[in-house]
Amino acid sequence: MRRRRLLQAAAVWAGWAALPAPVRATAAAAAPTGVSVEALPRLEGKLTLYLGRGEGGLYEDVLQAIEARNPALELGVRRGPTAALANAIVAEARAGVRRADLFWAVDSGAIGLVDGAGLAKALPSDLVAQLQPGFRYARWTPITGRIRTLPYNTEKLAPEAIPESVMALPDSGLRIGWAPGYASFQSFVTAMRLLEGEAATATWLRAMKKIAKSYAGELGVVLGVERGEVDLGFANHYYTLRLRSGKPDAKVGLAFTREDAGCLLNASGIVSLVDSSLAMDFIRYLLTIEAQSFLASEAYEIPLIAGSPPPPGLPALSTLHPPDVDLTRLADLRPTLDLMRSAGVL
Amino acid sequence: MNRSSGIYLPAACVAGMAVLPIGVLVWLAGSEARFAASHLDLLATTLLLMGGTALGSVLVGVPLALLTAFVRLPWPRLWLVLLAAPLALPSYVGAFTLYAATGPGGEFASLLGIATPAVVGLPGGILVMTLYTYPFVLLGTRAALLGQDANLLMAARTLGMPLLESLVRVALPRAANGIAAGALLASLYALSDFGTPAILNIDTFTRVIYVEYNAFGLSQAALLSLQLLALVGLVVFLESRVTSTREQPGASVLFHPGGGVVSLVALAVAPVVVLALVVPLGIFCLWLWREGQADFELVHAWQSAYASLLAAGVAAVFALPVAFAARVGLAGRLMERVTFLGYGVPGIVMGTALVYLGLQVPVLYQSLGMLVLAYVLRFLPLAVGTIRSSAEVLDDRLVGAARLLGAGPGEVFRRISLPLTSRGIVAGAALVFLEAMRELPATLLLAPTGFETLATYLWRVYEAGLFGRAAIPGLLLIALSMVGLALMFSGEAREAQGERV
Repeated sequence: MRRRRLLQAAAVWAGWAALPAPVRATAAAAAPTGVSVEALPRLEGKLTLYLGRGEGGLYEDVLQAIEARNPALELGVRRGPTAALANAIVAEARAGVRRADLFWAVDSGAIGLVDGAGLAKALPSDLVAQLQPGFRYARWTPITGRIRTLPYNTEKLAPEAIPESVMALPDSGLRIGWAPGYASFQSFVTAMRLLEGEAATATWLRAMKKIAKSYAGELGVVLGVERGEVDLGFANHYYTLRLRSGKPDAKVGLAFTREDAGCLLNASGIVSLVDSSLAMDFIRYLLTIEAQSFLASEAYEIPLIAGSPPPPGLPALSTLHPPDVDLTRLADLRPTLDLMRSAGVL
Repeated sequence: MNRSSGIYLPAACVAGMAVLPIGVLVWLAGSEARFAASHLDLLATTLLLMGGTALGSVLVGVPLALLTAFVRLPWPRLWLVLLAAPLALPSYVGAFTLYAATGPGGEFASLLGIATPAVVGLPGGILVMTLYTYPFVLLGTRAALLGQDANLLMAARTLGMPLLESLVRVALPRAANGIAAGALLASLYALSDFGTPAILNIDTFTRVIYVEYNAFGLSQAALLSLQLLALVGLVVFLESRVTSTREQPGASVLFHPGGGVVSLVALAVAPVVVLALVVPLGIFCLWLWREGQADFELVHAWQSAYASLLAAGVAAVFALPVAFAARVGLAGRLMERVTFLGYGVPGIVMGTALVYLGLQVPVLYQSLGMLVLAYVLRFLPLAVGTIRSSAEVLDDRLVGAARLLGAGPGEVFRRISLPLTSRGIVAGAALVFLEAMRELPATLLLAPTGFETLATYLWRVYEAGLFGRAAIPGLLLIALSMVGLALMFSGEAREAQGERV
């Protein structure tokens, strides 16, 4: 049954055909602020985008909508694993060759690598100002966010029984599912390292190891929670929302910790490798109400432009309490992996 | 010595090219001075997966090689291309679909009510790897068997040895180098693959490399890949210990079974084709029927096919001097051996090494020519291995006789050596063609921007979870691979007919 459900969920969240952006505009017209695609200049000329992807094919639909609206735009897209494209961009720069104008990556760590190599160009301040406070960076812009959550089995646990601090989980007596090999989990541990320090993180990992069951990925964690194999898990928010959209009676709820790594808000993001108005305007298209609300309603990603509503099924961002972490610092994965290895969880 | 220096120069050039990516890895690893922790616990799993795959591919591939080499079946070409086609499917596709089909809750159980053991873990991994690597053994062994003089087999039969025994004790030992070359390639594939172990939850050495790579530790990933090369070197060395007798070309053997036997043979072969091809494509079609199809552009299929055909042709040409140099002396043997090293490096790390190499020629970077060159560099050992194993059995006296009769070295090569190794050349080109059809990392990074192949399209829809959309490209991948193989093997058939006349 497990696989069928997975596929049903996949069909619902990803089976949506590409729609021209203007059609979607009406749905989001109620949003108070943000730039509409109608207000943007038409794009003309050649652009090469490196699209790093881990999962989800809905970015493609956004790109198609942009192309449909801008017939004079010659958009070349190279798709590949995020880390491989980031490495290729660095290699190209070392050789003095530039092929990519823009790099859209599924996690901010890859952005950190490219920015760290000095390749990211500064963005116009009015573009940066479109983002919610806390997500304004000088040389890259988040496109959509994802928040770390604690999916729990609604038959086994009441929400009140879940600690509000992720550091309290080892003593909770709960059976916990996690996916240490998964990149988002490693970002979460990196955030914990930055917020709580190395020693506390190492102690936490060792204590958790005793009560945790490992899964290959975080979709597996959420499915494990739903089946009751574990009481509670660690996963990005969208796995639970997508599962519930395919199976409305799924026995899985979402809990959030407060102001610690347990509710880290991470983001996919884009950098420009050129200083051109065409590249900057392309980024503006991704930050329009239309593109953002499409990614929220269809991919359950969290829009990060000011005043946009969260995806269905997720509390408003203002009611959550993510920690204050510079996302680009999450690229510093090396010490995290060392820590996880010495604790025997990787 | 005169003869050797002539072949050594081009062979050394090709071998040098083949080790360039390894050089890049050394350079990348060097920028990070410290050594990664050893992963001895993973070594056992990795070795078991590798050994199991080698064994499995021999157990499946050798009987099929005997069948396609010595038995006159109706539509012989169809059998051959159908049995070789699994090599064109990426093994992660097989792993994923077999995982989805089997076990409690799998498609078999929910659709047909048949309880099947889950394909998972090390046994599942060995099964899947075997299904997608046995064609290495099939094609290599078949080429070696066809090059044999059947008079020895006939003599054994005349002296009263039963058929099966004569095949095992007379035919197969003389094809040992072909079998070993295929098993070597299967081992290296199992060693370097990541997708299958990840899907089936097997903890191998490549997983550690991928964790490093995805954590932006390129130099660590390079360093670990170099450590993995120690294992590759060991396997390559072991394979070089397998030698064959040299022999003269002679009569060919062909058994003509009755209709009943053919049906039995078909029944025996069916499980392999069903598991490797019918189940994965069937599962995709099932999902396609559930989800509905989106648009698919046929141009991807055409691009896949011509890039792979180009790669097959170029690789065969590049492999010739290396394979022949291996016959001449120790230095040539060494040149031949080093071309195998790159095949044991995990694809994504190799892809990045090739990006660094490609950037040395900015004009060509991300052009079709660069992509074909990348395929050739990655898959050269497939052609080298099969050509060498068919060249190795050549009897030097034949060459000597031709020279004595006044033929120059060029003419001897053209009229004696080349025709007698043509089966190995075709088989080698076929292997490169099939591997290039399923290649992913180098295609993603080095193809011209926007150049999509069937393999990259499959990856895209797989990553997006749109599994139904994998049905049509999957079917096309198999269909086109079979057409490509049929084209390649048609030359072989004409030549065989000529021989009989």
